[in-house]
Parts: sequence; structure tokens; C-alpha cells
Amino acid sequence: MIVCVAVVGHQNNPLYIQSFTEADDALKLHHIVHCSLDVVDERVNNPKKYGPTLNEPFLGLLYPTENYKVYGYLTNTKVKFIVVTTGLDVRDADVRNFFRRFHAAYVDAVSNPFHVPGKKITSRTFAERVSTIVKSFGLSSAG
Amino acid sequence: MEEYPEELRTPPVSLVSLVGCPELHAAISKHLHSEQPPINTLALPDFSKVSLFSRTPKGDDPSPAHVVPGILKRDWLLKHRTRVPSVLAALFSSDQLSGDPAQWLQVCSLLDQIKAVLRSRNIKFLLVVVVPHGDDIGEDRMLALRKRAELDSKYVVILKPDEPSELKQSLSRLGSALAELANTYYRDEGKRVKLRIEKKTSSSSSIELHIRYCFKVAVYAEFRRDWAEALRFYEDAYHTLREMVGTSKRLPAIQRLVEIKTVAEQLHFKISTLLLHGGKVGEAVTWFRQHNGSYRRLVGTPEAVFLHWEWMSRQFLVFGELLDKSSAAITNISSLALGTADKPLSEWESRPAYYYQLAAHYLKEKRACLELALSMSETGNEMDNGAESVVPSAYVGQFARLLEQGDEFAMQSLTDEEYIRFAVVEGKRFQDSYEIIALLKKSYESYSNLKVQRMGSFCGFQIGKEYYMAGEFNNAKQLFDDIASLYRREGWVTLLWEVLGYLRECARKYGTVKELIEYSLEMAALPVSSGTDTQMKYRENGPAGPASLARREEIHKDVFGLVIGESGLSSVERNDDLKITLDNPLHLEIDLVSPLRLVLLASVAFHEQKIKPSAPTLITLSLLSQLPLTVEIDRLEVQFNQSNCNFIIMNAQRPPLAATADDKQGHRVETSSSLTLSTNKWLRLTYDVKSDQSGKLECTSVIAKMGPYFTICCRAESPASMEDLPLFKFEDRVETSPTKDPALAFTGQKATQIEEPDPQVDLNLGASGPALVGERFIVPVTVSSVGHAVYSGELKINLVDVRGGSLFSPRETEAYSLDSHHVELVGISVPEGKDETQLDTDEINKIQKSFGLFSVPFLKCGESWSCKLEIKWHRPKPVMLYVSLGYSPYSFESTAQKVNVHKSLQIEGKTAIVISHRFLLPFRQDPLLLSRIKAVADSDLPASLPRNETCILLVSAKNSAEVPLKLLGMTLQEDNEDTGRPCSVRHEGEDLLEPALLVPGEEFKKVFTVISEDDSSKLTIGTACVTWTRDSGSKAASVLTKQTLPDVNVESPPLVVSLDCPPYAILGDPFTYLVKIRNQTQLLQELQACTTCLRRPTDAQIYRDSSKILSWVSTLNCCIYYIHISLEASLQGG
Repeated sequence: MIVCVAVVGHQNNPLYIQSFTEADDALKLHHIVHCSLDVVDERVNNPKKYGPTLNEPFLGLLYPTENYKVYGYLTNTKVKFIVVTTGLDVRDADVRNFFRRFHAAYVDAVSNPFHVPGKKITSRTFAERVSTIVKSFGLSSAG
Repeated sequence: MEEYPEELRTPPVSLVSLVGCPELHAAISKHLHSEQPPINTLALPDFSKVSLFSRTPKGDDPSPAHVVPGILKRDWLLKHRTRVPSVLAALFSSDQLSGDPAQWLQVCSLLDQIKAVLRSRNIKFLLVVVVPHGDDIGEDRMLALRKRAELDSKYVVILKPDEPSELKQSLSRLGSALAELANTYYRDEGKRVKLRIEKKTSSSSSIELHIRYCFKVAVYAEFRRDWAEALRFYEDAYHTLREMVGTSKRLPAIQRLVEIKTVAEQLHFKISTLLLHGGKVGEAVTWFRQHNGSYRRLVGTPEAVFLHWEWMSRQFLVFGELLDKSSAAITNISSLALGTADKPLSEWESRPAYYYQLAAHYLKEKRACLELALSMSETGNEMDNGAESVVPSAYVGQFARLLEQGDEFAMQSLTDEEYIRFAVVEGKRFQDSYEIIALLKKSYESYSNLKVQRMGSFCGFQIGKEYYMAGEFNNAKQLFDDIASLYRREGWVTLLWEVLGYLRECARKYGTVKELIEYSLEMAALPVSSGTDTQMKYRENGPAGPASLARREEIHKDVFGLVIGESGLSSVERNDDLKITLDNPLHLEIDLVSPLRLVLLASVAFHEQKIKPSAPTLITLSLLSQLPLTVEIDRLEVQFNQSNCNFIIMNAQRPPLAATADDKQGHRVETSSSLTLSTNKWLRLTYDVKSDQSGKLECTSVIAKMGPYFTICCRAESPASMEDLPLFKFEDRVETSPTKDPALAFTGQKATQIEEPDPQVDLNLGASGPALVGERFIVPVTVSSVGHAVYSGELKINLVDVRGGSLFSPRETEAYSLDSHHVELVGISVPEGKDETQLDTDEINKIQKSFGLFSVPFLKCGESWSCKLEIKWHRPKPVMLYVSLGYSPYSFESTAQKVNVHKSLQIEGKTAIVISHRFLLPFRQDPLLLSRIKAVADSDLPASLPRNETCILLVSAKNSAEVPLKLLGMTLQEDNEDTGRPCSVRHEGEDLLEPALLVPGEEFKKVFTVISEDDSSKLTIGTACVTWTRDSGSKAASVLTKQTLPDVNVESPPLVVSLDCPPYAILGDPFTYLVKIRNQTQLLQELQACTTCLRRPTDAQIYRDSSKILSWVSTLNCCIYYIHISLEASLQGG
């Protein structure tokens, strides 16, 4: 289950962050997303160590913490997507698939002529679409 | 890790026992301990103690019906490490053996006893015979001994303690024999237990025993250093244990789980240690992850949750410590094959800091649950009594009540309730907070070393929270301040909000009102948008409260209540109210990097970039605030670098404050109808400013006063170079410009240039006509005052090439100081009678080649002063002469404002005299110069002169200037006066008695005769020097123009032809034309001569004798021809 998704800009500033939990731990999720940027930085700065993973935008599992697992995705324009999942069985393929759809939604959102690049994404359509993608996480490939 | 028993933490070391000959025990122990692998020794003082090893009689093999009371015995490992040896080495001295039969019999009975004891435990036996120096033991006695002891010959070692070399040898023999026996012992024991496992599994007996046996086999394998087998059996035990969860019914539920977890912890510790020891970091991490995964959810019953979290925390801590210790972890991280394809490992999982951080996290969970458990149980005191007598029981992870029954102690098992009481009491004893801080600090430092700042910050944040809760506000504040700067930089508003909330409370608790206000203002102005995560609720609601607009407004009201003095906040620590009063006013500074720019931003733009002094210009002052509510400013003070321009804007709607009305007297006071700042809306105010002082006028700051004792000083910013507001630059909002005029918003500056007042002094450069190269050209400069007096005037003179280049040729830049300037300023002269002003030593008087500085004396209004600049041209070149006069119109003070007058003049430099020269041969005499014949085309060749012939040099000087010149003289100077000239140059006739006047274009010629006398082929003629002056009155100094004449070649002509004929002829009357040819060579020369008519070749033959003349001219002879010519027409013969 996905508990938090975030889009992080070039200066490591949050462009969009939304948590999907009933529990009231949104702040903790913000912290987790922020910390995961260190892992993204490390992966991006040491491409050799992580070899072929950098040829694709999906960065894989960034780090597990407490009950969560954090996955990363780096677009060609160096915008970072972070997703925090919970639950034991999260399959890489599902996360990949999620990121692909999320990326498409992001591209549509920033293609809006009224959106200023580098600013926070406030589009309600984007938020709705993201929440749909989050809800369907894991269903498509499982079913 | 320290809380684990020693025997568990260290790898097992084989234990052997020594008995007999106690004087040798120390040496043998020392040797065995230094063996590789080491062997520990248990030295028995005498043979009677051997009985300690005998097995205590008990039901060793419990029947299947018997319930196994626990999984692992607490002291089993310790027993095998310290009390039960694998080998017993009995030492006998040789005299004991070879003595009388009674002694021998004693030995034999001892041996029997020992064997009996050892057999019960399968302990191996070894005999050491100590043979003193010089003594020996019989072969047959040895044989008898071996037989009696039933030992192989290699297990009977002879030790000779008196001979060092022998001793060493026999010790090493003993060591290897002991190691071998120990190995055998542990292998046999392992096999024995393994057999039991097989038997048990077949009979599906209790799982506890299976685990216990696996553990034992693994420990025995460890004794043998068979790590692979040890690992296999530990893992077997671990997995079997995991299956026990939910099936076992032996103990009450809570204690059952505690026991399982404790055993799992031990097994896991052993497995991790072995894996890390083998350098398999990746496997160890994977293993840990599995361990974590399989036990994380085994939380247990709600009242015992804290035990689970404590256990979890310990798992992370211990694994972190293990990783930390394992040097392999550090070196191998880079080459670590991280996990498998479907379960990839993250590099963070091989860093100890990660585990410490999570250990701290779980410890916090534990603390929270424990607090809950404590608060639920109201009868605190009662519990303490019951818990006192609870001790760990004989099995790992079990506890029991110790009952005293007279002298006997008995263990009584506990109910779960009793156990929980005990655990809560135990838990209370620990200061979790300090433990959490220590853990987080470890990971904070580790992250800082790795330059992983975000994770480090998160740890720092947690540490700060702990400090905050522990009441150490100073420590907390330092950490929070660091973290806040990172969050500000990266724009993580929600995180920043939380941190600021803590900082604000720290300031409040500490009683620092300034910081309290600063943090509060920053919080109130944060862009906590309504976009994402609005309904954020916090479980651990920090002091900041929820990040929302409502909360911001609340904080805003709080602050302004305090600032305006309506309310005082009570500080907890100092117990005095935080108030801003007359004695305790508050002044905030907001500079360009301050986070408080969000609160107040002042942008100042002058409408003009350049203004005249005393002329008013408009200035627009724009203020922006992001505070959630409108703010009323009582008074604004605008400050400039020229303080007399400062002015104050009063809010018309506020009554003027009595205390402030008179403190800034002398400044202009403006009144504005409203000074209200709304959220994200520019407050624009335009006023005019004027300054009398020239130079830069810059607005430095704007001070806003709100309430009686609160001011904010905001550094003024130019709209053109204004940075975006931090944090807000990521917000999706409408950008507004500080001024209405968009052009001003893009280019506006907070500074303007005030020009100097117009000069009222005339500066005249009175030069006429072009300058001539060589002369000292005079440029009269006149300074005449027409309105200003001239104080401390200063003339600056600059010569600049018109074409922009420098006044000296590029090649000569090195020799700058030499006479290399094409045009130079030679001097400045002041008219006679005013010299005394110049003699003043304080006056500046500097002259360089193209630059001059000259001071002008004080001039009253209406006076004038003049001087002359002397400039000398070395090359014809146009030059720009810049003269500027700087003066102060009112006083001599150096600080007084200066006024500058500039004048420039282009002056052409021209060549006055052009010198040329020409050589002429003697009249009607023609030496044959071979070089001329050969290279007729090349006219660039230097002129050739015949040797020993008289030649004529004609030097002419032409006036190429546009003015008439007077020529004073012309000479030919020798270049090299020392060696003398290789020729004689004579001037025929007198020098000039009077100067010759040359009008423009006229030429003056002078004739010199040159006779080359030297044998050299080159002849240096010298330098033509022409002295001249302008024909403009008598004063002008004479100028010497020099030109070096080029060298000439000297040749000896082979033939010299001389012609002689009358000056005129009479028609019809023949005349004689004498041609004389002189042969100057040593050889006979053939001559061919003909005469042709120069002017009329078509005319009738005029020569009577025109046949070819062919003759031989002998050496140094002259051949003379007489040609008779009669002119038939009125023609001249050639």
C-alpha cells in the first residue's frame, strides 16, 4: 500500500507531496521523503557503484525504515519522484508500473500552460489522478 | 551488545584442564593461551579436585512425556567455556613413577580414579611425565604407565622443564596433542548430540529439545572452528524456534513469547556474528532483514507491547554495533552485491547509523508504551514489592520468583500479570531518554561524517525533541537552528514549521523575547499553503500545532499582542513575564539573507538614475509582508547614506506617539493616510527626495515601527536585483512587482547618482596650429573664474593618442622610462612673477610622460591664472590633450565637494624639415662602377662611390611645414668621432652668416665634397644636422633636426673616362672632343668605343670619322682619342 507520494524539484524542494494514510503520521512521512533524497543523491553521484540501474529512471528501493519502504524515480529532467509504501509484499514490478503512470500524470500536469516550471503543483486534476493511481496500486498486476 | 553475557559475545575457546605438578601450570597455561588457536586452561591444584568433573546424577534423558521446562539452559555455555574441559592433562614427575612400588601403586590408583571420572563425560585424557634435568625414566616404566592409562604413545608427553630448548619443544608437542584431543572431544560431543537430534525428530519429540540440541551442536562446532556447521545448526535452531511461535503452550502467553524472542535474539546474534566474521556483509544484512521481518509483527498482548519494542530496539542496536565493529563492513560496502534481484538491498542497510537510528525509534516506541502501561497501573507501590524477588531462572528468557524456605531457595514460576509487573518495574529503572539521545547522536555523527545531511538532520531533529522533552532547551535550540537552515534552503515548509515550533517554545521557555518574536514571525509568514496535505494531523503534535492558516493567524495575533504590549507571555523558566517595555524595547534586523524577509521586505527604487544636486527626485518605497493578517505600521523611517535625506512617514490614522515625536527632530516628516500591510500585497509609497551633495545617494534601510517599543529595521533592496522570497519562490502564486511601473520594477535601483554642480570657472587651451616635430610646443592654459572662487585647484593633464593607442610604440613598452614616447609632456611653466606659488612644497606638481598634475593657486572670484604646457613631439602624430581642472568652490578642506571642468584639444604633430641628399660625380669624369652595371634595376642599393675620386654630396633641407621657418645652420656630423671618418668631407664655402628664411615648400641646399680614402667597401658619411626655428618672433628656441645619411659603397673603378671639350662650338667650325680613358687595372683592357648622336639619330652623318675604334689600353696607361667633329647644321654635338 502506498502511504505517501512526492515530487521533488531540482533544489530538493517539494513540488508535490501527498500522504494517503488514515493514521496521523503525515509529518513523519515528510521526514522520510526528505531523508530519502540523500539516497537519491548518493545513487546519482556514484553511478558506477549502482551500475545499470541508472540507465533507467527507476531507482529501486532507496531504503527501508520502520514499517515503510521508500522507492525512487528520477526523470530525465532530474525531477525526483518518491513513493513510500507499507506492507510486506511490495513487488518491484508494481512500483515500476506505478511510477510509469505517475510520470505520465506529472508530465500532463506540467504541460499545463498555466503551470510555471519549478513551482509547486497545485492542480486538482493532478491530485485526483494521483489518488486514483495510488488506489489502484498493486491491483493491475496482481489481478 | 554489552548486556549479553561474555561467553555469548566471544567465540568459544577450547578448555583443557591440568592437574599435578602445580609449579608448571603457569608456564603451560601461558604457552597454550598463545597458541593459534588459543586454548584456555583450567588448572586444578591437586588430584582430588578431578572429581569436580564427574557428572551430577540427574535424569539426563527426560522421557518424552516429561515437559521440557525451557529451551536453552542459561549456564550451559558458560559451563562448557569455563568448567567442563575437553581434555584433562595429568602431570606426574619422573620420580613419582620410577620411585618405590608404593608410589607407583599410588599413581596407578590415581589413574584409575581419573579415568572413571572422565569416562562419565567423555573427557579426553593425556599424561605428562615431568623429567627433571639429568634424570631419566626407564622405557619399561613408560610402557607400563601407558598401558595403565590406556593411552596411545603420542598422548604421553615427556616434559623437561630444566632445558629451555627441550621445554619449548615438548610444550609445543603438548599443545598440539591437547588441541587434537580437544578437537576430538568437541567433535564426539557434537556427533553424540546430533545423533540425539536424529532420534528426536524421528520420534517427534519436543521442539525445545531440538532447538537445544541444534544450539549445542553449533557451539561444539564453534569450539572446533567449523563455522559453516555452526552457522547451519544455528540457523536450523532459529528456524525451528520461529515455528514454535503459536504452537507452544508451555508457559503463559507473554512469558512464552519473551522466552522465544530472547532465544531468537541469541541465535540471531550468533548467526550475524558468524556471517560478519566471514566478511559476508550482504548476507548478514539480508539475514537481519528476515529476522526483523519475522519478529516485527510479534507484538504480543497489549500490556506487554513495550517489551516488544525494547526487544526490537536491541536487535537494531546490536546489529548496528556488530556492523560497526566488523571492519569488513566498511571496506566491502562498495563491492557489496546488494541483495538479490527481487529483494534488493539498499546501501543504507549496511551502515550502522541506519540501525542506531531505528534502534532509537523503537526505543521511543517502547518508552511511549511503557508510559502508557505505567499510567494504566495505578497501584505503583504495590507492584514494587512483588517484583523484588523475581530473578532470571535457569533457562534463557525465563524469570521466576525466588522463594526462601529456610536455608533452601526455590523457584516459583510467575503468572503473566506478575511478570508484567516485574517488567514494568524493571523498565522504570532505565532512563530511556538518554539512551535514545545517545543512539541518535551516534547515528547523527555518523551521518555527518558521511555528509548525509538530510538523514543527519532528521536524527538531529529527533535528538532536539528529546532534549526539549528533557528540558534541555539550550541543547535543543542549537540542533533545531542547524536543521531549520537546511529546511529553509530546500523549502520543506512543513518540516520547517515543526522545527520552528520547537524553537519558538525553546525561546519562550528560555525567556529570550527577541528570538521568540523572530521565530513566531517566521512561522506566521511561512507559506503553509492550502494545497497539499492540508488535513495534516500529527500524532506527536509538536508545539507548533498543525500547519494551517488558522494556526498562522493565531501565532500572528499572539506576536502582535505581545509587540503592541497588550499581552505578556509568561516564561516558564525564569518566571518573569516576557514583555516589551520602554526598558526592554525590541529591535529586529532583517538583512538580505534573513529568513524574516518573508515578514517584511522593503524594496526602494529611485525613479531617476542621475539627478542634479538640489533637484528633487521621486523615490518609491514598496513594502511586502507575508504575514497572514494585515499589519498596521505606526511610523516608517527611511534612511539614506546621506543622513540629511532621511525622512519619516507617519501614519495619519495613528495618534503621534509622544515619546517618539521629538527623538528624530530635524528630519522631514511626511504623513501617509494609511500604512497598512496586507498579505502578499505591496504597499507602495512615493515621495520626493533631494540632496545637495553630489555623489551616490543610496537608501540603506527602512525602519518600521509598530507599537511603542518594537521596531523592525529592514535592509533596502533594489527591485532590479531583488532575490525571490525564499520558500515562496516555489509557491504557485501570482508574481507582483514592487512598483506599478514595470520598467522601474526591472531596472529600479536603491541608489542614484547626484551630479556635481555646474562649474563657474573657464578653462582655456590656447594653442594654435599644428606642432612641429622636435620643437617644444607651447599650449597656454588659462583658468579664469567667472563665478566661483577656486580653492585647492588642481590641473590634470593627459595626453592620449587620437587613435586610442598609447603614446609610445608597443615594442618600446619595456623601456617605458626611456625617451620612447612619441609625444611627451615636457614641462609646465608658470608666467614670471608668480613663481612663489609654485615653490610651495605642499603643492602637488607631478609630471610624467603623458600625464601631469599641477596645482592651481587660490583664485578669487573674477581672477584668472595661466600656465604653459610644453609638449614635445618625436614623431608626427595627432594627439588629444585633455586638461581638467578640479576645484572646490567654497573652502580649502579636503572633504569639500569638488567641481570639475574638462577641456580637450586635438593637436596635430607635423614634420618641419625634410632632409634629403644626393651624390654627384666630378664634372665630365666617369668612373666605371661595376655594381651599377650589374644591378641596374635595383635602385634600393646604396649609392656607390669611386675610390680616391672627389665626389660631391648635395644635402637639402625642405620646409614641409605650413609656416615659414628660419634655417640657422646645416652641418654634417661625424657619427663616430673617435675613429675618425674614413673619408674627407669638406664644405666648399662659408657657413650661413644669417639665418635663411624658408617659406613652406622651399628647399635649402648645401654642397659637400667627399673623397673616400679608406680601403673599406663601406663608407659612413655621418649625420646631417639642421638647426632651425619658427619664423615667429625672436623668442622661439632653435630646434635641431638630425638625419643620419645612409652608408655608401666604395668601389675602385677599373676605367675612368674623362671627357674634355670646349664649352661651345661654332657652326661649321670643327672642334676637338677629348676622351681620356684611364685603365686602373693591372691588366691590358680591350676597348671598343663609338660615338652616337644623342639628339638626332636620324640626321645625316655628322661624324667624319665614325669607324669603330679598337685598340688596347695597357696597364696604367692613358689612351687618348681626338675626335674631330664638324657640325653641318646648327646642332650641338653630344
